[in-house]
Amino acid sequence: MLLTLILLPIATAFLILYSSTRIQYLLSAAVLGVGSFLSVSLFMSTERVSFHLPFLLNAMIIAADLVLLIYFLVQGKKFNSPKVIVLAAAQLLLYIYAEYAAPSGRSAEIVVDELSRFMFLIINIVGGIIVLYSVRYMEDESVEPYKKRHFIAAMLLFLSVMNAIVCANSLLLFFFLFEMTTLASYQLIAFRNDEISRANALRALWMNQIGGVVILAGTLVAALVLDTVMLDTLLQHSGGMLLFSVALLSMAALVKGASIPFDGWLLGAMVAPTPVSAMLHSATMVKIAPYLILKLAPVLGTTLLGGVLSITGALVFVAAAYLALSRSIFKEILGYSTVALLGLMMALAAIGTKESMMLSMVLMLFHALSKALLFLAAGVLEKQYHLKSIEEMSALVHRAPKTVGFIVLGFVSLTLPPFGLFMGKLFAITSVASLLRERPLLLIVLVSMIIGSTLLVLLYFKVSSALLSNPSDTVRTEKERIPQGFSIPLVLLSLLILFAAVGFIVIQHDVLLALFTLPLLFVFALPSMIRSMEHYDRTAIYHCGEKESFDAALVYYEPSVRIKGMIYWGFGILFVAVAFVGVLS
Amino acid sequence: MIWVWIALAPILGGLVYGGERVLRARMQRRLGPPFLQPFYDMFKLLDKRTLIVHAPHALLAVAHFFALWFSVAAIFLGWNLLYIVFLHLIAQMLLILAGYSVRSAYSHLGANRELLMLVAYEPILILVAVGLYLVSGSFEITGMIQKGNYLAQLPLLFAALLMIVPIKVKKSPFDVGEAHQEIVGGVEIEYSGVFYEFLYMSRFLEYLFIYSFVFIFGGESVWLGAVLVAGVFLLVNLVDNATARVRTPQMIKIIYMAAMPLAVLNLVWILL
Amino acid sequence: MKFFIPFRKKSPWILHYNAGSCNGCDIEILAALGPKFDLERFGVINTGNPKQSDIFLVTGPVTYRSRERLVELYSQIPEPKVVIAVGSCTTTGGVFRGMYNVEDGIDRYIPVDVYVPGCASTPQLIIDAIVKALDILEAKSKEIEKPFKLFGAIETIGNKLSRLNMAKKVELHEKN
Repeated sequence: MLLTLILLPIATAFLILYSSTRIQYLLSAAVLGVGSFLSVSLFMSTERVSFHLPFLLNAMIIAADLVLLIYFLVQGKKFNSPKVIVLAAAQLLLYIYAEYAAPSGRSAEIVVDELSRFMFLIINIVGGIIVLYSVRYMEDESVEPYKKRHFIAAMLLFLSVMNAIVCANSLLLFFFLFEMTTLASYQLIAFRNDEISRANALRALWMNQIGGVVILAGTLVAALVLDTVMLDTLLQHSGGMLLFSVALLSMAALVKGASIPFDGWLLGAMVAPTPVSAMLHSATMVKIAPYLILKLAPVLGTTLLGGVLSITGALVFVAAAYLALSRSIFKEILGYSTVALLGLMMALAAIGTKESMMLSMVLMLFHALSKALLFLAAGVLEKQYHLKSIEEMSALVHRAPKTVGFIVLGFVSLTLPPFGLFMGKLFAITSVASLLRERPLLLIVLVSMIIGSTLLVLLYFKVSSALLSNPSDTVRTEKERIPQGFSIPLVLLSLLILFAAVGFIVIQHDVLLALFTLPLLFVFALPSMIRSMEHYDRTAIYHCGEKESFDAALVYYEPSVRIKGMIYWGFGILFVAVAFVGVLS
Repeated sequence: MIWVWIALAPILGGLVYGGERVLRARMQRRLGPPFLQPFYDMFKLLDKRTLIVHAPHALLAVAHFFALWFSVAAIFLGWNLLYIVFLHLIAQMLLILAGYSVRSAYSHLGANRELLMLVAYEPILILVAVGLYLVSGSFEITGMIQKGNYLAQLPLLFAALLMIVPIKVKKSPFDVGEAHQEIVGGVEIEYSGVFYEFLYMSRFLEYLFIYSFVFIFGGESVWLGAVLVAGVFLLVNLVDNATARVRTPQMIKIIYMAAMPLAVLNLVWILL
Repeated sequence: MKFFIPFRKKSPWILHYNAGSCNGCDIEILAALGPKFDLERFGVINTGNPKQSDIFLVTGPVTYRSRERLVELYSQIPEPKVVIAVGSCTTTGGVFRGMYNVEDGIDRYIPVDVYVPGCASTPQLIIDAIVKALDILEAKSKEIEKPFKLFGAIETIGNKLSRLNMAKKVELHEKN
């Protein structure tokens, strides 16, 4: 089953290169169907699968990795970016040394445990839906047909890379796949091939390469001192250098999760076509960050390193939510809120108790669903209405009621009860509060979690102020038509969000929680009551008796340059501090 | 019995509001309206012709009222305090969405301010819940009011709560959300008749909501709780009559610079 | 319902509009609302919002610039409602009567229930007027009251009664 999960997208990718649009729909729907079926059935089974890779495949991976790093070098040379060249060269050297120093494998390179099964769920279901969506999205893109097919094929290939990375046990294999995701991100950001996307792609490349370098450094430490490159054996060790290696690996997670000061690459990545933003930069790829921390969590536990990591994550949550308040491009706002929530997930994972790790996973799932929905809706706005900035979206509900409905559902599902993400935060507050007596340091995490959540509420509903303002209903609204290629993925995601929320409440066995749904049920009942409102007089809005109506401006909160500088320097220092703490403990 | 109280909650809040209007008038040395004035207003509003802008806007006010009633009911039933804070959050968000759903500048400004008020008081409310939990070992209100003496252990947290009471009941210096002189009532501006009545009544419920937080600090002693509520009630009205309105950013600054450190400091103190 | 009608008297909320007054009457209105004369003992609140008001207190002789606003505000007050014209200008045009940029009193545009004399009027008179207006308010029905210069009647769209753009119609009439 595992092999099917990895190979099916690859096979489909090749088929898609030679097929018409209709077949593309069929194929991507098939990938979605088969992928989600397999991942669900894998999730149900509880056995731990592990196996060795054949020697030939290992050799091929090494060769591919070398080619990949040389490709990065060439790209750096081609676009004249010294950072890329230096980092690629460093990686090349480190990689060769690591391969040389790595002890011959005593345990399996591929291990499928509970966490991997959970990740399969996210990757295949959400990812599959996004691939289905991207077929329709590409129809409207003004590029050559072969490029469109390449795009979809690349998305599919990326799916299989993701499927592989979450069950990689060998750190070198993990590094290879990590670099593959970097490559995918680089290629897809540069898809439109104009100046801005080139520059942003290069920035994403070098920032992610820092992650590659620290992974290799961590691997080297593990190989030289602890004599293993396998994650599971590594984590069974104890002693000083283990934490150093773990610290280096978790720094890679901070880079991949675009934590401040690395948020630049994720923000820049928003110039890519929307399915890319949805798939790579919010729903699946950046989830490697919390995934990696979750993997390492058993040794983080009560160590100082775990404390520093969870504080970093929690502070990123607040800072990114705050920085997002100054943005006006819809996708950038979503991007920043992704950074924020990834910070929260990493913080929870790094706390390392069973409950907090479970909550981190829950947040990952619900975040993937909601953010995918939001990004796909943003794509509809972009393609159907040519809107990118929230400044242009004033009174959008009048023109595009359905799309706005999806967006508001997305916002609500990210912030309010009874949806999963909110529930995750709620339980996180209770679980952190119950840990406070033993670990007072977690108070920082708790306070930032509380402030960050309210800032996110402010952020999302500030945006919705632009979308929602509606004139009196005596003015006729036009009917909105969303093409089926767009509406089916959106509806699927919305249903998944609702079902997952209901399911999550049901498995809590808490009657009181179910009561959170009551106010919402009332809101759902609203449309049926609208008919009974016919007999009330309609009136114009109050604007001081003026004849011309005027709109309120959107509000932004821009931090001053000094504060911004302080935020970036502070997080830069925290990032380095992670390594130091690793060395010291 | 408790269900009767829950059913009577808006009336109870109305009495509080009526009493407050009389009290404020007496503080300004004038006669003031009759004690039952809020109910006269309610009956009059029922008799008015109702103008609405569009149906969802009007209905969201009704939803807001019921969600708020629900959260007040949850307090009376002694449920999990954290859940109650978030139930209240839903109610507030319904109101804010209502404010945004009409194309009216005043309504939008009002909703923006409501959001900022939420940013100001929500963290404090949660920290209050966490503080009470740390002392009593339970998030349930029924558990909390079985232990005594929160004031001795959580005086700073109580001070922080005291600072956000004016925000919730919309009193000077933190009455930016309503601000009749500048934004004509904010989110409530487009409502009239029956639908305004729901917003008018939800103001009564807000009184009950925030003052029951004050009441919990009394712990097992009902009398201490009652004295606290009465004292805070007097103090808030005194401050309301004596101060001018601050601007919204100043309000946020004051809460985050003064109330938040107080609350956190108190938590640090009981943890160490 | 009959039960509710007595309560109209007990909570009159006012909307105060200055249609080009010299501010003399406005100051007197504010004095009436202030602690000394304390209109709030009648349950009066100065809402500043037509949609929640019962009594429309107008001052000033209605300048050309303020006509549409006057009508717009009037049409946004839900019935039952009463209009009080405060001061000489508002009732007859006062010292401004016959000027090129002024209408002579508000009753050219909207029906007035109580006229208050005086230049400026006094708080005592205003209180008297409001008490008088309360009796009128109690006797009124909930039928729609139209401004005088609303031409083309009130629209309905679907089943919905629309009170949009009433003021705009005044302007249209002037042009024709």
